[in-house]
Amino acid sequence: MKEYNIVITGVGGQGVLTAANILGWAALHAGYKVRMGEVHGMSQRFGSVVSYVRFGEEVYGSMVPEGKGDVILAFEPVEALRYINYLKEGGMVVVNTKPIVPVQVSMGKARYPTLEEIRKIVEEDFKAKWIGFNAEELAIKAGHVVTTNTVLIGALTQIPEFPLDAEHVREVIRLSVPPKAVEMNMKAFDLGVQAAKEILGL
Amino acid sequence: MAKVTDMVLWDKPGERVLLLGNQAIARGALEANIAVYAAYPGTPSSELTDTMAIVAKKAGVYMEYSTNEKVAFETALAAAWSGLRAMTAMKHVGLNVAADTFLSAVGMGVEGGFVIMVADDPSMWSSQNEQDTRVYAKFANVPVLEPSDPHEAKEMTKYAFELSEKFKHFVILRTTTRSSHARGDVVLGELPEEIKTGKRKFGNFKKDPSRFVDVPANARKFHPIVLEKIEKIREELNNCPFNRIEGKEDAKVGIIAPGLSYAYVKEALHWLGVDNVKILKLGTPFPVPYGLLEKFFDGLEKVLIVEELEPVVEEQVKTWAYDKGIRIPIHGKDLVPRVYEMTTRRAVEAIAKFLGIPTPVNYEELDAKYKKALEIVPPRPPSLCPACPHRNSFFAIKKATHSKGIYPSDIGCYTLGLLPPLNAVDTTVAMGASIGIAHGLDVALNGVPGEDERKTGKEKKVIVATIGDSTFYHTGLPALANAIYNRSNVLVVVLDNLVTAMTGDQPNPSTGQTPHGEGRRIPIEDVAKAMGADFVAVVDPYDIKATYETIKKALEVDGVSVVVARQVCALYRIGQMRRKGEKWPIYYVDEEACTGCKICINAYGCPAIYWDEEKKQARVEPTMCWGCGGCAQVCPFGAFKPVEGGEE
Ligand code: SF4
Ligand code: SF4
Repeated sequence: MKEYNIVITGVGGQGVLTAANILGWAALHAGYKVRMGEVHGMSQRFGSVVSYVRFGEEVYGSMVPEGKGDVILAFEPVEALRYINYLKEGGMVVVNTKPIVPVQVSMGKARYPTLEEIRKIVEEDFKAKWIGFNAEELAIKAGHVVTTNTVLIGALTQIPEFPLDAEHVREVIRLSVPPKAVEMNMKAFDLGVQAAKEILGL
Repeated sequence: MAKVTDMVLWDKPGERVLLLGNQAIARGALEANIAVYAAYPGTPSSELTDTMAIVAKKAGVYMEYSTNEKVAFETALAAAWSGLRAMTAMKHVGLNVAADTFLSAVGMGVEGGFVIMVADDPSMWSSQNEQDTRVYAKFANVPVLEPSDPHEAKEMTKYAFELSEKFKHFVILRTTTRSSHARGDVVLGELPEEIKTGKRKFGNFKKDPSRFVDVPANARKFHPIVLEKIEKIREELNNCPFNRIEGKEDAKVGIIAPGLSYAYVKEALHWLGVDNVKILKLGTPFPVPYGLLEKFFDGLEKVLIVEELEPVVEEQVKTWAYDKGIRIPIHGKDLVPRVYEMTTRRAVEAIAKFLGIPTPVNYEELDAKYKKALEIVPPRPPSLCPACPHRNSFFAIKKATHSKGIYPSDIGCYTLGLLPPLNAVDTTVAMGASIGIAHGLDVALNGVPGEDERKTGKEKKVIVATIGDSTFYHTGLPALANAIYNRSNVLVVVLDNLVTAMTGDQPNPSTGQTPHGEGRRIPIEDVAKAMGADFVAVVDPYDIKATYETIKKALEVDGVSVVVARQVCALYRIGQMRRKGEKWPIYYVDEEACTGCKICINAYGCPAIYWDEEKKQARVEPTMCWGCGGCAQVCPFGAFKPVEGGEE
């Protein structure tokens, strides 16, 4: 495998950085060269955020180039669209369908699109595959909403041609969360795996 | 996956770990046996300072969070004068604050290695401007090293100390947001015995007034010395391990790629499938080593310089080529944008144009599709956190001034008070500028006591400056002294959340803690009183009514009023509670009571509150509520109530 590019998007505070870090370590353990780019500072405060995870035999910059992302892992539906320019044609969008409505929308100054509108652009204009489900709901089922990122990572490991071994990623999560949260996260991971399998018909 | 701070101190040479660029630099400084580190946090440099703070005690390094970049610079400089290896770090605009000392001290040189890490922020992800530190370096005649990846950042840090010590000169290690905040595999090197055992190193200051006192008679000798040094360093950099020529030796076209642009150029060439080029990888954009240029230009018919922001390398190369009588085309800023950050796409487009070949992606088509997609995407700028005490302070200020005041503000999380619905920030220029601007506005619009004409009553403009605790100590102090001394008539609200929140909760004099233990806390109200402010009060912004009333009272006072709105940063508090497994209350909207007036959304704007389109009522998103109770105080109908039992 030459290189694999993951773009992780969401809202500040959702755990985008943590997810990126877990995938980065899993790739490093798998022997790949790794580059990651992330946001810090002001933009982290409940604004739109994006992180990049790139790995392979040879990778260079820390940002995924536009039109070169293999997959977008979106923690929030409109955030998938905001960074859709990074996706390659025929790429994948794995998305948590639970929206976080921006203040501007609540104030009536902007409109939040429907899920169907978002999906249509992804599938028709960008010719990408859409794997959408309510990851937050599954996270709560696993024990706590903070495991939403683990659910999404679980789902990510199931997409076709994903180069990292699911068990391997699971192990990195086990080692990186606090001991008392291990069980909950393992459950969250499995729920994510299951959700993706159902959607993909595996 | 060990803790980052453990990895930075791991005694495991050869181990491959995943580190942030800034953490890799910290490791490099430790491998170089650093003794003193002082800095003021600023994105994108902060994680270097935070990492040093955590490992300092164990590694025997003296480390401090200074009140601003100038004093940090002076602390580290004095250590370097005493023969120790010392470092300071700042963001690009921080160098402006330190510039006074920096430019005057360059001529004096150093004894121990002195490295100034400056993190630029092209595209201004978290900054007020886009200045290029390499221009400063050229101005000061100080060499700049610029890494292209995290591992190189670590290695370069070590080299920077050696270079500095060898020439007894300052060295700047320049990063950008994308190198400071890039994570990549780093191979750990050896740690010196003193770092491993945590032995604190002490220096020795040899008095030499002819060198360390810059009275004109001495200073006159400095400038020629500096110019001589920089030319010697230019020579030396011909052999710098971070400068090299690669690619096809007999190629007719060449590309010069300094710093991080090297990574983008490599990627672009790879993607374009172009290998018939010669590349000059430049780790030292200033001074560009001429010997290497000579070798590189040999046989070339045209050259492209791919650099971010200002044409620093381009100007040096063109000047050199002109003097040498080299007349081949040299491209740069004609093909590479001069604003915003470099990307692979930009490198691809520039190289494609330079070589007259097509790009691998049809960008026109992509842009059109993307533009269409963005049409339905609502904006989501960063916002003050749920339960952020600043929201309440702004709300009270707006109410007390009937939204008719002028609101100069400052640099920090609270700059986000700019956004609707608060709209409580009218100016933000630089650290500490809120008070200076407020005073200037008062002079310009109202007049001060002692002047023949002075606006009063309805004619008088109400001016309320807001400034954070860290910023207050950074550069707010002289501005406050100036306003009080010159009899200004302004209200200064110090938003004291007891940490430097925006950059990651670093301590400051209002916090009191230092990385080595208890420091001495300096309460802001004591300072304001000692300076002679006409009215000083402390309030808890979580009590909106009391805050409002205090502000009203302060506005009636003729003179400078200082209201300290003190409540710990909500993000910091929730982080602490989470770690301890503590619970906090959360609120919900009583459907019976909510009239749908939207005051909570249109005037207050906690991000945890959203609008239920169907029921036409406000709702609280339970996963985002941090339980401050602000909504309950703002709602005129008592619709917000705490959930029984709370939530974690
Ligand atoms: S980090 Fe703290 S100060 Fe900054 S917006 Fe959040 S709560 Fe407010
Ligand atoms: S209590 Fe109200 S204002 Fe405070 S965080 Fe929760 S919803 Fe926001």
